[in-house]
Amino acid sequence: MFVARSIAADHKDLIHDVSYDFHGRRMATCSSDQSVKVWDKSENGEWHCTASWKTHSGSVWRVTWAHPEFGQVLASCSFDRTAAVWEEIVGESNDKQRGLSHWIKRTTLVDSRTSVTDVKFAPKHMGLMLTTCSADGVVRIYEAPDVMNLSQWSLQHEISCKLSCSCISWNPSSSRAHPPMFAVGSDDSNVTYGGKVQIYEYNENTRKYGKAETLMTVTDAVHDIAFAPNLGRSFHVLAIATKDVRIFKLVPMRKESTSTGPTKFEVQTVAQFDNHNSQVWRVSWNITSTLLASSGDDGCVRLWKANYMDNWKCTGILKGDGSPLTGSSGQPTAMSTVVGSSVQTSQNALNGMSAGRYFFPPLDPPRAGTRYGHLLPPSSLIEHCDAEPIQPQPQALPHRLSSRSLLPLPEAEGQ
Amino acid sequence: MEKMSRVTTALSSNTISGRTMFCHLDAPANAISVCRDATQVVVAGRNIFKIYGLEEEQFVEKLNLRVGRKPSLNFSCADVMWHQMEENLLATAATNGAVVTWNLGKPSRNKQDQLFTEHKRTVNKVCFHPTEVYMLLSGSQDGFMKCFDLRKKESVSTFSGQSESVRDVQFSMKDYFTFAASFENGNVQLWDIRRPDRYERMFTAHTGPVFCCDWHPDDRGWLATGGRDKMVKVWDMTTNRAKEIYCVQTIASVARVKWRPERKFHLATCSMMVDHNIYVWDIRRPFIPFATFEEHKDVTTGIVWRHQHDPHFLLSGSKDSTLYQHMFKDATRPVDKANPEGLCFGLLGDLAFAAKESLISSDANRKPYPGGDRRYPIFFFKKPDPTEQFAHVSSALSVFETDLDSNRMDWFVKTAQLYLLSGKPFAELCDHNAKVAQELKRPQVSTTWTMLRIMFSDPANLTTPGPNHNLSKLGTLPLMNSFSMKEMGSGMGTESRLERSKGDSRQDNIHLEPGNSHISNNNEENEETEGSDGQAEYMFGDAELDDDDLYSVEHDNQTEEQEYALPQEAFQLRHEIMDNPSAPEHLQQDKADSPHVSGNEAEVTCLTPIESFSLISISQPLYSPHLPASFFCPIVREMLSYYAEQGDVQMAVSVLIVLGDRIRKEIDDLTQEHWYMSYIDLLQRFELWNVSNEVIKLSTCSAITCLNQTSTTLHINCSNCKRPMSNKGWICDRCHQCASVCAVCHHVVKGLFVWCQGCSHGGHLEHMMNWLKSSAHCPAGCGHLCEYT
Repeated sequence: MFVARSIAADHKDLIHDVSYDFHGRRMATCSSDQSVKVWDKSENGEWHCTASWKTHSGSVWRVTWAHPEFGQVLASCSFDRTAAVWEEIVGESNDKQRGLSHWIKRTTLVDSRTSVTDVKFAPKHMGLMLTTCSADGVVRIYEAPDVMNLSQWSLQHEISCKLSCSCISWNPSSSRAHPPMFAVGSDDSNVTYGGKVQIYEYNENTRKYGKAETLMTVTDAVHDIAFAPNLGRSFHVLAIATKDVRIFKLVPMRKESTSTGPTKFEVQTVAQFDNHNSQVWRVSWNITSTLLASSGDDGCVRLWKANYMDNWKCTGILKGDGSPLTGSSGQPTAMSTVVGSSVQTSQNALNGMSAGRYFFPPLDPPRAGTRYGHLLPPSSLIEHCDAEPIQPQPQALPHRLSSRSLLPLPEAEGQ
Repeated sequence: MEKMSRVTTALSSNTISGRTMFCHLDAPANAISVCRDATQVVVAGRNIFKIYGLEEEQFVEKLNLRVGRKPSLNFSCADVMWHQMEENLLATAATNGAVVTWNLGKPSRNKQDQLFTEHKRTVNKVCFHPTEVYMLLSGSQDGFMKCFDLRKKESVSTFSGQSESVRDVQFSMKDYFTFAASFENGNVQLWDIRRPDRYERMFTAHTGPVFCCDWHPDDRGWLATGGRDKMVKVWDMTTNRAKEIYCVQTIASVARVKWRPERKFHLATCSMMVDHNIYVWDIRRPFIPFATFEEHKDVTTGIVWRHQHDPHFLLSGSKDSTLYQHMFKDATRPVDKANPEGLCFGLLGDLAFAAKESLISSDANRKPYPGGDRRYPIFFFKKPDPTEQFAHVSSALSVFETDLDSNRMDWFVKTAQLYLLSGKPFAELCDHNAKVAQELKRPQVSTTWTMLRIMFSDPANLTTPGPNHNLSKLGTLPLMNSFSMKEMGSGMGTESRLERSKGDSRQDNIHLEPGNSHISNNNEENEETEGSDGQAEYMFGDAELDDDDLYSVEHDNQTEEQEYALPQEAFQLRHEIMDNPSAPEHLQQDKADSPHVSGNEAEVTCLTPIESFSLISISQPLYSPHLPASFFCPIVREMLSYYAEQGDVQMAVSVLIVLGDRIRKEIDDLTQEHWYMSYIDLLQRFELWNVSNEVIKLSTCSAITCLNQTSTTLHINCSNCKRPMSNKGWICDRCHQCASVCAVCHHVVKGLFVWCQGCSHGGHLEHMMNWLKSSAHCPAGCGHLCEYT
């Protein structure tokens, strides 16, 4: 069950990004009011603002944490055409007693001539690297050769994507079988250009990043893009926020060891949801990449989950202010038609066909029971995608409904 | 006021004409000015001085004012202004210090009218009085402002700002006698035109030069100033002290600022360097430009609204030698591209969500009342132009937390902590892990463990297995199966307790097991079901209930062959002594042979022991010949990949470690390494350092094990003399004291020693923790505020 805990952010303008740190105990927010705030979770789960400072002279679009191995380091990027790297300073005990911490600017990256729209640290195994992308369509990759010295960054790569860039995501895979790879999304609104998501891969031989793939099916402005945590997969999963939510699977084709070109990918569209009925602004994966959250102009967060057949479904809707959702925005969509396909087991027969209409079909026989425990709408906060409210069916599933607490979403259970 | 302007907008919106257009100039422009009726624009620069007609579709060059063969510095303009009352009258400020007026009504080609050469240095600005025809004001780099009466040959008064160079002078729109001047030292002065001796008022507006100022066209008290400090400030001048009421932070130094007509809170700015764009700001929302014009390729030097009552057209000249007419509806709106939402998944499955308040407020879905404001009849109601709405907005931040009981990532942490990966025989590890998974309500994982145990517990690679022996071994399979399932299903509590209480002693027992079974076999051949009792005696009273049962049963079933098998077992099972017979579970499933399905069902239905015995008797003769464990490897490999691809790398790695050599060769090193790396990364995210270390230690990939071998050097200072310890051991070379004395109890620390990196004092972890609960200072009394992280 989700409990909405509202935080008085006290930003003076729109908040554009929220970012958790590696361990999930700190949070950074950035806003158009040109400031970044850092929030720390206290013992009792409350979030306290421990730092708030002016970072840029324009809207701060994104903020991101470095791996803690490099210290408590943040990077931010802004409309003012710069990206900046910040480090928390330990000391000043009186500051600490007041629950405040001090962040100082380690560097400003001024290479862009237009708004810097996204900033991301590369996966840790690549060292301390920072990537920015800007509205003029240039992706820049910086490296701090000395991880102890955060004020020196050298521009390693400059990649022109031709289209105005809005977001960037690194493939987090640490496998040596996967060369460094990132995806760039463009918010160019001209649909005729097509291919708003480009994937670049590092080529060991040329020591350059080359375009490996363009997702030609994404023709509308892309607002956010996120590779799923890899966790030992052989393929890559990419979520895209455009006018709808899309999930792509990139399966590297087996390539001959002699070929030097970029890896060829088999690109599969795994899912496409227009439930938001509006622009989708953000997508975010959970840590095991079993759950995708998306947020759109409808002000809702929708959660998506795949069953073992790789059918993705909406498993919950969270309303930003915790108020109940009106029925109109939760209508079922085409994707609910896949429900029937995986329903063939004896368990299902037990539950009766009515179960198939509900949002959690029994995905696999041994676990269907536990899943049904989640079927109840636990509170007004959470509604299911189905248009009709889901009623518990005591005659069909009495013991199961009572057996467990009411998670809106079951944990991964290895599925 | 607002309402009025809205009406005008409504009216003028019908008469919007023209489009975004541009023309090439011959040279970079320094300044532009537009005539009162907005039909012509004058462009002035170092090498250009031309008048262009503003037509519907294009600019048309009307007149070139640079005439004559001799290039004169008087033509080199820093500023130009078209008189707003007299449409033939222009004034320019020349870089050589001359102030020139031009009369377009002159019949000759040279339109130059008056020439004032009183300033010593560049004149930065000229300004006509808004209503007085003959009054002209100039501000110069030499620090003086001069007021000219165009009917006279000389200036009528000189104002000495005494604060460095003058960058801008502007007559007030409303106060007839007042003008404002801005200076390079950051000051702004207000003067009365009648009192040249002393300024009326002065205040410091910016840090660094104030490049421009502009009076609000409607509001008499408002003055906007822009400076090199990248700020635009709006001052309320009606009060005694100039009060800053709005401040806009731009991204580059502000070269020009111009209030937008008919829009009380809008102003346009352009920058002096770096930034080539023109921004229109709503001063109530000072952080993000309301609109941007991005056409210019070089610095924009002059901006002017085309008509003093038309907010839709902006003219601009630039160093890129172009003159633009921007139409407001073609402007880019940065806020449209700005992301109104932020969303991030936390480690524990909580979700941080920030969104524009209007998006998430519950009345966002409510339809606006169709009639709008009731005070007006419905047909009079004009909806405000949505494109002109740019009110202050804010975001709401909330964290969706999974509540504690069902914390969604708990399973991962618990599993990581509870899984046993080594230190016990294979089957026990599997059982244990299966139980862990079962307790965490992950039946599939649990079943996987059980099946793994069944598949691999046989020393299946026996080189010369006797047929009978095999048969007997295999015969126990369904029993084992049912047994373990039963244990998990029902007797979980007791068994797990037993398991734990046995702890280490269990391992010892295991080593005795082959002997045990041998003995039990020989001695208790006739035992039917109570084999465990008999065994227990040999096992030093350890009440082993599960696997030993099976052994005894197994031996009961076949008595003669055991002796052949035993010697082999004794030698071959050096490592995995506790191994149990292999079970061709998958084979059964694959073949879907009917008799074997019973074994499968046993898993689900939890046969009672008696049932399972009966099962044995049925299925025993039907067993296929011996299958080596390697037979399952492809299946297991697939299974591991499956888990990995489902996001449960924990399972993949755990199985990999537990199976060890049995499976390792089946999976290529890269994949293994990838799994290990992913799992270790996850463990470290959850700060499960011990588990992570264990995994690193147990891994067989060289790339992983070497993770533990980096950064292993410790540098220590002596806690007495604070100097680095060079020697081995804990006795300091210099002061010959033992450096590892606990600062709390003054005993030498053996084992975990924790110390402050600031003062080198430390001691027993426990003592230090207790001490720091009560005091922040170092227990050694050195006065240091110790920091432990």
